[in-house]
Amino acid sequence: MSNTIIKIKNLSASIEGKEILKGVNLEVKAGEVHAIMGPNGSGKSTLSSVLAGRDEYEITGGSVEFLGKDLLEYDPEERAWLGLFLAFQYPVEIAGVSNMNFLKTALHEKSKYLNEDPISAKDFLKRVKEKAALVELDDKLKNRSVNEGFSGGEKKRNEIFQMAMLEPILAILDETDSGLDIDALKVVSNGVNTLKNKDNAIIVITHYQRLLDYITPDFVHVLADGKIVKTGDKNLALELEEKGYDWV
Amino acid sequence: MTTTTIHPITENLIPSTINNVATENALNLLSAMTFPTRKSEDWKYTRINKIIKKEYIQKDASGEINTKDFIEESLNAINVFVINGHYSTELSDANKNDGLVLEKITIDNINYNSLASNQTNIFTTLNTAYANNGLSISVQKNTKIKQPIHIIHVNTISNVIANPRTLIVLEQSSELEVIQSYYAPTIEDTFTNSVTEVLVSENAKFTLTKIENEGANSSIIATDDIKQLNDSTLRVNTFTKRQEFARNGINVSVDGQNCATYLNGAYSPIKKEHIDNHTRVDHLQPNCMSSEIYKGVLNDKSVGVFNGKVIVHVDAQKIEAYQKNNNVLISDTATMNAKPELEIFADDVKCSHGTTTGQFDEEAIFYLQARGISKDTAKMMLVEAFMDEVYNEIENDNLRNSIKK
Ligand SMILES: Nc1ncnc2c1ncn2[C@@H]1O[C@H](COP(=O)(O)OP(=O)(O)OP(=O)(O)O)[C@@H](O)[C@H]1O
Ligand SMILES: [Mg+2]
Repeated sequence: MSNTIIKIKNLSASIEGKEILKGVNLEVKAGEVHAIMGPNGSGKSTLSSVLAGRDEYEITGGSVEFLGKDLLEYDPEERAWLGLFLAFQYPVEIAGVSNMNFLKTALHEKSKYLNEDPISAKDFLKRVKEKAALVELDDKLKNRSVNEGFSGGEKKRNEIFQMAMLEPILAILDETDSGLDIDALKVVSNGVNTLKNKDNAIIVITHYQRLLDYITPDFVHVLADGKIVKTGDKNLALELEEKGYDWV
Repeated sequence: MTTTTIHPITENLIPSTINNVATENALNLLSAMTFPTRKSEDWKYTRINKIIKKEYIQKDASGEINTKDFIEESLNAINVFVINGHYSTELSDANKNDGLVLEKITIDNINYNSLASNQTNIFTTLNTAYANNGLSISVQKNTKIKQPIHIIHVNTISNVIANPRTLIVLEQSSELEVIQSYYAPTIEDTFTNSVTEVLVSENAKFTLTKIENEGANSSIIATDDIKQLNDSTLRVNTFTKRQEFARNGINVSVDGQNCATYLNGAYSPIKKEHIDNHTRVDHLQPNCMSSEIYKGVLNDKSVGVFNGKVIVHVDAQKIEAYQKNNNVLISDTATMNAKPELEIFADDVKCSHGTTTGQFDEEAIFYLQARGISKDTAKMMLVEAFMDEVYNEIENDNLRNSIKK
């Protein structure tokens, strides 16, 4: 359990001249679950966007090593092929692109990049069936356009369904729990736990301790004003729930 | 006062022998007309100097072509070849359908030149004056032709002017699908000036799909003058592929009740291509519906023009007219000029029109990328999703698939 998956060193990033990340340090190893909590606007989604490769952000300092590679040098799609996955806080609706075609294309491009045989149509359908069952994704949703007309909760389920299909090495779940009712929360958490193994890792961004009852973190970090200001174990989340962020 | 204008474009051209009276009239009209400049409203965004200031040559249908290169087998169509503007009976398939007549337009053809916009469009006049070996298609009463007719236009030499002329007559309660495609492979600077006249009689159903794909150095002006009678249905789909310049003018005169008219088009110009779609629907009678969907994706320094005119005449009550033109600019240097025009002289009508020009949704592209879809593929998927609405208007599945390829 000592393989480093991602090592973020002193990462700073700004948008439109405004500095959002002000020196983030974080190391995640294989088999670990990290939770990041923190007040609204502290930079949690910015951190996940920067890691996923959104080019609106300007990296002003620091480095990110992902599986030994200089992550910031890669395009977003290459990062996905290398095994990075971001479950969006606000999944995008894409009219006219079917969920299935979208996933098939994603898998094909990945195997092309990795010089692997593309998944057969039969295996693809098998995997879809299996993974959709895992997050109890409604059959109808699979064939609709990506997220189009999905409810908030359905979108979040769809993110985890995609994660299951793509089998990433590092998954960043940005507030995947917001908008989920308690049953959905259990289903989604159960899905995540099933996907979790000793070779991959997960970063969950959340405001609520309740998610961490289902997905148990090894570490809890507090991100405030663009920096990680405190790190602890799962008890830190309980403490935050009780006292808020003011005391940190 | 009449003035006589000499047009360089007509230099060296041999006049039409289809119908001497029509030719004579057209030549007279032509000498009194001038080519439009950008000062004329209808040509405001489309400069034609480059096309009309040139001298062209006429060429007969004798050019060497391999017909197989142009036939789309999946369509299972009657393939009709029009070479350098001349209908070639030799290269075309024999027609085995009862009730369908394919022949050269002759002096006996009473419908010839009865719908053509000679008075208002100099390019139509030009065609009437110089078209030879026109193609006449007629479908007899109560006859439904299941097999589509694929008219394949091929220009075979550089600097050729082709004046293809097509006359299509659907008699009462008949049905027909025609595909017109245009090619000019491996040659340069050709000009196709196509005119198609169509009469859709009572209760008839006609579908015309145009595919313009002459290449990076060819210009086309395609004019369709169409008349619909009671209870008829018309569909015209225009797909402009690689084409340096295209000006499509579709004029539909809906002169009957309970008619349906669908005009759809898609264009995705690159480089400096210039694609202009002008449509005009005249609702002359009540209780009709017309619908238009045109969509474009413009790249590089390309220019798009859309002008959709719907005129609801006095007494044409209970008309529903819908029009939509949506565009995506995928480069900062592409331009789109869109202008819907509604002129309504009746009071009980339902009309809507909308035009949008925007960029790709960057959030959607990033989302697709983040899932492992390369940026180019992501854009392609979004283009396809955007265009599908137009492609879905093609009723013939095989045709839709071949166009999407
Ligand atoms: N495109 C942008 N333009 C300008 N400011 C931005 C942009 N994106 C983010 N910001 C700003 O960056 C800061 C951090 O935003 P971010 O979304 O990362 O916060 P967060 O920690 O995820 O908050 P939340 O808990 O509400 O999701 C905020 O002040 C936000 O307004
Ligand atoms: Mg956020």
